[in-house]
Amino acid sequence: MIRFARLAVLAVALLVPCLEVQGEIRFPPPEFESGHQFPETTSPGAQPVFHEYVDVAVLVLGLLLASYLIFKRRSRRAIFILMIGALLYFGFLRDGCICPIGAIQNVTLTAFDSSYAIPLTAAAFFVIPLVFALFYGRVFCGAICPLGAIQDAVLIRPVAVPRWLESGLRLMAYTYLGAAVLFAATGSAFIICRYDPFVGFFRLGGNWNILIIGASLLLIGLFIGRPYCRFLCPYGIVLRNLSRLSKRRVTITPSECVQCRLCEDACPFGAIREPTGDWPEGEYKIAKRRLALFLALLPILVAAGAWGGYTLRNQLAGMHPRVRTAERVYLEENAKVEGTTDVSDAFRATGQTTELLYTDATAIRNRFALGGALLGGFIGLVVGGKLIGLSVRRRRTEYEADPAGCFACGRCYQSCPKEHERLKKSAEAMAARV
Amino acid sequence: MADKQESMNRRKFLREGLWGACLAGVGTAAGLSIARNNRDNMVWQIDPYKCIACGNCATYCVLEESAVKCVQAYAMCGYCDLCTGYLVPEPKALDTGAENELCPTGAIKRTYVEDPYYEYTIDESLCNGCGKCVKGCTVFGNGSLFLQVRHDRCKNCNECAIAAACPSQAFRRVPADQPYLLKGAEQEP
Amino acid sequence: MTQAAERTHLWHRVAKTTAIVGGVFTGIFTVLLAANLVGSAVLGPARELKLEGVKLLVQKDPANETLLSEIRQRDLKIRRDRIWRLDFAHKAAHMLLASIVLLLLAGKIAGDLGKELPHPKHAADRGEKQVREARQARWAVVGGLALLAVGMTLVGMSGWVRFVQAEDDGPPFASWEDKQTQWHRFRGPGGAGVTAYANIPTSWNGKTGEGILWKTPVPLPGRNSPVVWKDRVFLTGADPNVRQVYCFDAKSGQMLWKGDVPTVPAAAKLEIMEDTGYAACTAATDGRRVYAIFPTGDVAAFDFNGRRLWHRSLGVPDSAYGYASSLDTYEKLVLIQYDQGDGSEGQSKVLALDGTNGQIAWETKRDLPNSWASPIVVDVEGKPQYVALADPNVIAYNPADGKEIWRAECLGGDIAPSPIYAGGLILALEPYAQLVAVKPTGTGNVTETHIAWRMEEGAPDICSPVSDGTYVYLLETADLLICCKLDTGEKVYEQEIKGDYQASPSIVGDKLYILDVKGVMHIGQAGPEYKELGKCELGEECHASPAFVDGRIYIRGNENLYCIGQAP
Repeated sequence: MIRFARLAVLAVALLVPCLEVQGEIRFPPPEFESGHQFPETTSPGAQPVFHEYVDVAVLVLGLLLASYLIFKRRSRRAIFILMIGALLYFGFLRDGCICPIGAIQNVTLTAFDSSYAIPLTAAAFFVIPLVFALFYGRVFCGAICPLGAIQDAVLIRPVAVPRWLESGLRLMAYTYLGAAVLFAATGSAFIICRYDPFVGFFRLGGNWNILIIGASLLLIGLFIGRPYCRFLCPYGIVLRNLSRLSKRRVTITPSECVQCRLCEDACPFGAIREPTGDWPEGEYKIAKRRLALFLALLPILVAAGAWGGYTLRNQLAGMHPRVRTAERVYLEENAKVEGTTDVSDAFRATGQTTELLYTDATAIRNRFALGGALLGGFIGLVVGGKLIGLSVRRRRTEYEADPAGCFACGRCYQSCPKEHERLKKSAEAMAARV
Repeated sequence: MADKQESMNRRKFLREGLWGACLAGVGTAAGLSIARNNRDNMVWQIDPYKCIACGNCATYCVLEESAVKCVQAYAMCGYCDLCTGYLVPEPKALDTGAENELCPTGAIKRTYVEDPYYEYTIDESLCNGCGKCVKGCTVFGNGSLFLQVRHDRCKNCNECAIAAACPSQAFRRVPADQPYLLKGAEQEP
Repeated sequence: MTQAAERTHLWHRVAKTTAIVGGVFTGIFTVLLAANLVGSAVLGPARELKLEGVKLLVQKDPANETLLSEIRQRDLKIRRDRIWRLDFAHKAAHMLLASIVLLLLAGKIAGDLGKELPHPKHAADRGEKQVREARQARWAVVGGLALLAVGMTLVGMSGWVRFVQAEDDGPPFASWEDKQTQWHRFRGPGGAGVTAYANIPTSWNGKTGEGILWKTPVPLPGRNSPVVWKDRVFLTGADPNVRQVYCFDAKSGQMLWKGDVPTVPAAAKLEIMEDTGYAACTAATDGRRVYAIFPTGDVAAFDFNGRRLWHRSLGVPDSAYGYASSLDTYEKLVLIQYDQGDGSEGQSKVLALDGTNGQIAWETKRDLPNSWASPIVVDVEGKPQYVALADPNVIAYNPADGKEIWRAECLGGDIAPSPIYAGGLILALEPYAQLVAVKPTGTGNVTETHIAWRMEEGAPDICSPVSDGTYVYLLETADLLICCKLDTGEKVYEQEIKGDYQASPSIVGDKLYILDVKGVMHIGQAGPEYKELGKCELGEECHASPAFVDGRIYIRGNENLYCIGQAP
């Protein structure tokens, strides 16, 4: 039996071509004498599409409810329950994908790659929280976003981050946003998805390095409120800047501020701004000069950033798989490295010429030349803008929630005596009705 | 006083203008997305003619048990006694002994049909998507064993971790209502 | 009031305790999960390694039942363990999640219940504080920028590869003219065994080292001849399990690289007679890549730096004495004469592979049996022809597309000597029987029309003929050199030269170089009368034909590769 089989293999091996050719029918499928039929290959279907549309509906309803709870009901407890509900639904039930943070990349890719067609739900997830932000502020962050919710849920003992440190750390988030847009636009990678720290917990599985980073962030989050939201989230950057313009703002007091100062330490995220005081003598003159300096510095920073990003174009381009393949194949072709890898073997199996490969890689690098310059310029702009912003005098007469940084979580409401007044009044009104 | 009022109005005007611009920007993003949208839900799938059975599918999936499994194209299989996808290159005997099996988890089941044909089926609960059988079958046999993403398991991540790690870029998005790229006698590569 | 405060205090205590309990459970399940992970990462591979070890043992002792059952047991254990671990991890992850939820819930409640009223501290001078904070924040931003710059510098230091499009080497193969000056295949250009270089050494002694430029051992044996291209010498060697291609530096003899050629499992049990050996076929180069073929049917291409570009199995050939036809190249194609079997099953073919990627460029079947001659590529009146012999035909093809140009039915027997092209004639040998001269200018079946002459007084069975343009010389396997006129085939003389011969004779200028199996090179005068000019000893047995390029002779002995010449 074995010999027959070996001879059969030998006989047919006379026609055996090499490794690169796939799936030739070397041994023709038999016709069974017993009439045995070939079974069918099973094809279990994917999740029905309507689940995604349900998600969009839940998102809209959730945001409407959140806005109501934040502005009308002003109840931290209700917001907390909504947040937990969103965590369970968008996080653990839907595995945290697709989320608005990642949708930035999908929309970017749509703009730059005409062969990519974005699913409507991804576009909806990107657009809807932004529209709400223009009207109601960061209601998405406080009550709906599962990544924010998981950080908020582990916040047990808030420790304040010094005001001066916040601006510096937020630079990371701007850089992340810029890099994510660059890599999505060039079709290299979706880095927001790749390095999402919390999705591994939602899925109960994932890359170990990312899980450890996520666990570390949560450990930090036990004490420092919402570290990812404040210092890393790229979507948060878009939300905070739109929130500055929102029609309605979260107010700590339901009526007027009596400057009782009881809300000063009420925000674990450092979003409460106290009224401004008078500047010391001579400060105004210095501030004017400083502002002029930073205004003049702004174009220099943008130019320097653009130059820096342009200089790094080849390293940045290394994020693209085609460029990596080209680099590896080039090294092998010129005997600068020993052996081959799966990637270079797979490339050679395609039969494409190395000329085509190098041409493609060079074209991608050229895209990164422009993209890198834009990324660098963007970061330069952000740094310059921040410096200018920190040199401008603000005038506040009340205790306010920073419209950019306030997550609309509702924690500060309870610390305002005016709020307690309002609650007592409404309780009395309810009692009177009864 | 009038100056302050003027500057307040100017600021308000700027603010309103900026607000409108942002709304328009968001609207543009929405409009662009709708224009270039895909009504179909897209899911990930492996092009079996590009796959080189490197083994990454078993290790890179974000799920503990990979969503990629081996499938059998029964119409392409040779039903051979000496199956190069089932048996190691130098088997002691053509039987189901562990020392002869190529599959590390014993996921391929071999059943006798008639002389000298055997049918090979995959037990998906055991398959880990390593592709060893795929390599053996494609190089020396008919290539009827190939890897596919199974959509009762796949989470359809926005960026598939296996797709990013695939050396031959064999992953692509396909419509969810036809989520498989099956090999078959009538299909063109 | 106190009652409410007491109740709050009680709940606070309860919440705190529950939080601690939750924390403890979290710790326990984290440790369990981590242990499970470490276990699977460490123990799993260790067990699998052990299993591989036992599998190797079984290969040496296939019938051992205890070993087989041990393999099965270990395999089963590994599988059971894997499934158990997955299950455990799954359950532990859920329990961990539950503990964390408990911890957080209780912790939050404890936090809420234990909250104190806010105590705003003394209001410092706000203005000064805010100015100070703003200044600190500006410096923090500058600091952030500095860190970013450091990060960018680090990124900038990581390497990237500059694609230097190679200086245009022109076409991806050497020109015909270039090939005429090198020894790019078996017996040199056109397989003629003729060199035009006038500076070839005429005396040396392998035993004393006189005249020997270098001598390098060749790792694996083979009867194939050296192939020389400018500063590189190529050989192949093999044993029943390993096939290799070697590259030596022409000036120093140092082995620059050796490349492995894999094979298919079906070829592993092939047995070939000792006289042919496992590396009988000579390699060939097109000036950019070197190609090798082995009797197992494996073809491979290497670039001059030793990187294997591609390899291919043509299937194990069915050849009575072991496949031995050498390769040739035409432009960027590798030409292979793949004759096998007895001719009845149509397995024989001539084919061309694209040298850059190994894809089949063309393939022409032929209804001929196995043959051991090597084909040649010649220029006939400006057009190239690819001539391949097998009983009973001499067939010429267009090397660019494999289309048959002409065929002549004039041979018989096991054809081992290769043809040559001299004096406008294709000369083919039928072992023990005849030398046939065919005019290559016809088309179709030219048996009746283009056979110029036949010399039917006996012919060698192994060595290929050589011609100086006027005479053609045949070398018998033992002791005999025959000379015939090229234009008529008329025998001129038979010369006894004592010795056994496997290597084919060569013409260097006006001299005959004849190498016997003991390694002695007989140098004689070519012409109507044989005159012995000298004998040079190598000191080693030789079966391969030598190569002659620009002042040097390359001879492959059974163990070493010799280069005979003067230092530059």
